[in-house]
Amino acid sequence: MSGYHPDEITLMDYSAGTLPMPQSLAVAVHLFMCQHCRSQVKQFNNLGGALLSQAEPRELEVQGFDDFMADMDKAPVSEAAKTHARHVNPLQAFLPQPLDRIDWHKQTRDIHEYDLTKVLEAKGFRIALQKIRAGARVPEHSHKGQELTVILQGGFSDELGVYHAGDFISRDPSHSHTPTALQNEDCICLTVLDAPIYFVGRFYRLLNPFLRW
Amino acid sequence: MASPAATPSKVRPMTAPGGQKDPRTQKWIDLLHRVAREKDRTAFREIYEYFAPRVKAYAINQGISQQADELVQEVMTSVWRSADKYTDSLASVSTWIFTIARNQRIDLLRRNGRMKAEIKVETEELWQIPTEDNTISSIQELSAQRHLQASIGELPEEQMIAVRKVYYEGKTHQEVAAELDIPLGTLKGRLRLSMQKLRVMLEAKEL
Repeated sequence: MSGYHPDEITLMDYSAGTLPMPQSLAVAVHLFMCQHCRSQVKQFNNLGGALLSQAEPRELEVQGFDDFMADMDKAPVSEAAKTHARHVNPLQAFLPQPLDRIDWHKQTRDIHEYDLTKVLEAKGFRIALQKIRAGARVPEHSHKGQELTVILQGGFSDELGVYHAGDFISRDPSHSHTPTALQNEDCICLTVLDAPIYFVGRFYRLLNPFLRW
Repeated sequence: MASPAATPSKVRPMTAPGGQKDPRTQKWIDLLHRVAREKDRTAFREIYEYFAPRVKAYAINQGISQQADELVQEVMTSVWRSADKYTDSLASVSTWIFTIARNQRIDLLRRNGRMKAEIKVETEELWQIPTEDNTISSIQELSAQRHLQASIGELPEEQMIAVRKVYYEGKTHQEVAAELDIPLGTLKGRLRLSMQKLRVMLEAKEL
C-alpha cells in the first residue's frame, strides 16, 4: 500500500462525481494501487447510497412504471448496460501501447514525456506521463496551480519526502520543489496540472516561454 | 501530505443497533436478485416505484431539473438490464443505484459539454461501479451500511448541511461556502469533522 494519499475531501468529491475529470483520473489511478483509499471511497459511496434512500421522493412527470417498461422493451440494448465491475488500471484505456513501450517525447537527456492532454478532453488542464531517468534531477520548479502526481513505477524524492509507486502527491503554489528520481530505476509518473508550472532556477527560467501549454 | 490513515480519532463509536440483518436492506437485495434471475417485473416495479422518484430528487438537487426524467430513465434502464452484475457483497442496492446515477449524471453533463477528444473516455473507466474488493465481507458491509444510515442522523445539523450540499447537490466548495455565508476554511472544517465521525462509526464496525 502506498504511503501518500489524496486527502479525504478529494476522495469525497471523487465519490460524489464532482471532482473534474483530470483530477479524477489521478485519483482513479491511485485507487487502482491503494486498497486503503478504495475502502474509503467505498464508504463515501455508501454515504451516497444512504443519502439517496433518505431523499424526499419527487414525482415523475410523465412516466408510470408500465410506460417505462413499454419504452424500454422497444429501446435497443446498448450503452445502458455497462455497469460491469472491473479492476483494471484506468490508464490502460488511454494508452496506445503498454507503459514499457510508450512512444516517449524527449524533453531533456533525463526527462521524457508523453502528453495526454489532447487525448483526454482536458480543457484548462495539462495531463502527461513523465519518465525521469534513474537518479536524475528535475530542475527546481513551482506551480501556478495545483499539481497532482501519481507514481506508476520507481520513485522520487524532493524537499518534503520520498515517494514510491502508488503514492499520490499534491503540490500547490506554495511549494517549490526539485524532484530527484531514485537510483534503482527510471521513475514514471502521471501528472495533472490545472495551471502551468514555471522553473525558478536562474538558468532554467529561460525555458519558461518554451514550455508547451 | 498527511495520510488520512494516520489521522487519530477519539470520537466514540456508537453502539451497533443489534446484529440481525436489516430487513429493509435485505428486501432490496432479494428483489434485485429476482430481477437478475427471472426478469421478474413485479419485483422490478417495487424497485422502480421506490428508487425512481429518489433518483429524480437526486437529479433536481444536482441542478439538472430539466433533464431529471431523462436521468431517471437512463438509471432505471441500467438497473433493469444490469441487475445480474449486482453483487450484494460489494454494495447495498441503494449504494449500487447511487453509483449508477452518479455516473449517468457525469455522462449527461459531459454530453451537454459537447467536448471533443481524440479518445472517448468512458465515465466507467474513471468511476468504477463497486469492484471486487475483499476487505469487507458481505455481512459486515451491510451492517456498516445500516450503521451509516443511523450515523447520518446523528451528525450536527451544520455538518449535515455541509455534507449534503457538497456531496449530494454537486456544488463546489466555493459555491457552498458562499451559500452558507461562511469562509471556505470553515466549510472544509465542517466536512472534515463530519467525515471523521462517519468514518469512525464505520471503522468500528469493520474490525
